[in-house]
Amino acid sequence: MKITKLAWALLLCLCIISCSSDNEEDLTGQIGTLDLKFDNGVGDQDFIFGTTYNKSNGESYKLTTLKYIISNVRIKDSKGNIFNYPTADNVFIVDEANGNNAGEIFITLNNVPAADYTEITFGIGIDQTRFLLGADGQGDFLAEAQSAGMLWSWATGYRFMRFDGTYSNGTVTDEALAIHMGSVGTSLDNYREVTFTLPNTVRVREVAHPEIHIEADISKVFDGQTSVNFADGYSQVHTSSETTPVIADNLKSIFEVHHVHNN
Amino acid sequence: MKKILTIVIFSPFIFSSCSKDDSAVYVPKPLHFEAPSNFPDIAYNLDNNPLTEAGFELGKKLFYDGKLSANNAIPCAFCHEQAFAFTHHGHTLSHGVNGGIGLRNAQPIQNLAFQKDFMWDGAASHLDLQPIIPLTSELEMGETLSNVIEKLKADSYYQKQFGLAFEDGDINASNMLKALSQFMVMMVSSNSKYDKYVRQEENVSLSQIEWDGLNTFQNKCATCHATDLFSDQSYRNNGLSINPRLNDTGRFKILENSEDLYKFKVPSLRNIEFTFPYMHDGRFETLEAVLDFYDAGMTDNGNVDISLKRDDGSFGISLSTYEKESVIAFLKTLTDNEFLNDKRFSEF
Repeated sequence: MKITKLAWALLLCLCIISCSSDNEEDLTGQIGTLDLKFDNGVGDQDFIFGTTYNKSNGESYKLTTLKYIISNVRIKDSKGNIFNYPTADNVFIVDEANGNNAGEIFITLNNVPAADYTEITFGIGIDQTRFLLGADGQGDFLAEAQSAGMLWSWATGYRFMRFDGTYSNGTVTDEALAIHMGSVGTSLDNYREVTFTLPNTVRVREVAHPEIHIEADISKVFDGQTSVNFADGYSQVHTSSETTPVIADNLKSIFEVHHVHNN
Repeated sequence: MKKILTIVIFSPFIFSSCSKDDSAVYVPKPLHFEAPSNFPDIAYNLDNNPLTEAGFELGKKLFYDGKLSANNAIPCAFCHEQAFAFTHHGHTLSHGVNGGIGLRNAQPIQNLAFQKDFMWDGAASHLDLQPIIPLTSELEMGETLSNVIEKLKADSYYQKQFGLAFEDGDINASNMLKALSQFMVMMVSSNSKYDKYVRQEENVSLSQIEWDGLNTFQNKCATCHATDLFSDQSYRNNGLSINPRLNDTGRFKILENSEDLYKFKVPSLRNIEFTFPYMHDGRFETLEAVLDFYDAGMTDNGNVDISLKRDDGSFGISLSTYEKESVIAFLKTLTDNEFLNDKRFSEF
């Protein structure tokens, strides 16, 4: 009896060892799903609508709307191959209001080739190429952006972000705050891209459904590369060629790949 | 590495072959519960549920068993990981079956024998009844007691272990909950640096900054975080802004008494270095964020605890930069590595 058990155990050992020494897994034709999870925070606090957050300069703000456009997601695998998500579907609105109980917003990428991915790049906003496809070339996204309030008129283009709420400082209380940064037609390009090396490999497989957890520290929109004062024209940011690039650069710096789940 | 692998692979066979030789006869081996000398009196009535080795083992097995959940994959331990004082590491809110997300931050499991009631809002008035809440919550374990009992009845381990643990040997909800309590009652965290300092053991002393922090703590925090449990076990509204997504009214949900609006149980601070994120909804990731909140982030939501009112009518606890720094240094002396690594409570 005991010998049989020993034999089984040995067999199990062998199986495990032989599995792990298999280094060339054939992934040809295999596809899977990859989730990007966005979690907005303010410094080391979770973001909550209507909660007052302090800025570096003594000003404070609270928001009722928080959303931004993510596009042109592409991922690089361990062999250097780059997978561009299909252009027509590669544009998303990350809207805090659509979050789950924990305020997490998911972008699901389907039909991703199975591979071990090590790097992710994405854009914030809409690049000029996509914009120049014209109003007819935007697929469903035009309507989606319109109903989400992320579009001015076509000539002006998309709002890349909407932070709406109020701000207070030593002199004013609960004044309107509206950060609606975007490109301005073709005359001002505020599209930005960020690339992250993933903290560990993301294994996309037919049976696995990994998740990349991206944290966004929205305080850096105001206290990022440049610290801005609401009192100095940054409480209303729309199409100005002075303020929008500053906000675009700050917005680019809010993201961080926090961790990766492989399961 | 090979040795570990061999042990891991062999151990189920060893255990199963051993256990076959025993027969399920109830011969209670009492387990001694020792209350730390610096703690208040035990609240749990051990006479109604005498601790035994077999009962503790059964409780531990249940605690780590996914069978208690609808998809057989979410044990209690899923949201209560030992390395983080039995909290859900890094999660603001707990995750449950089928991707469900709960409404509150998982609290640590430690020193529960000394608590009068349980959960952030006190919904459970007895430790034996507490597990029913997560077990039946659709967002957490999504099961029913009767279904769990059916699953346990079909399992040979439980068929035997209930017999060893309880005189009547019945596999029923009452015995299951008592076994879980036996396991949880034994989970006492009382060997932190602070404990050894106050009990004058092993010549432990606090550094200057820890000692300063303890003083500030006693002056400014200990009204609510009282006794060496670091909670007076009351329910208070500490002036957090209301999260409209959750709109959690706290203890108000229990009796719908407007005086209870936004009140939550004062949490213990033991092992707080590892139980982040903080507050009932996990909104603060660091202790710095917590103290910044008490210093300058409180909101008058209409029912804030009077002890948090300053002389000028505003709410908050004024803390200097050094006071924050030293309070955090002191709070870290509440880390109990013996508890966090205690093999008696570990799954493996």
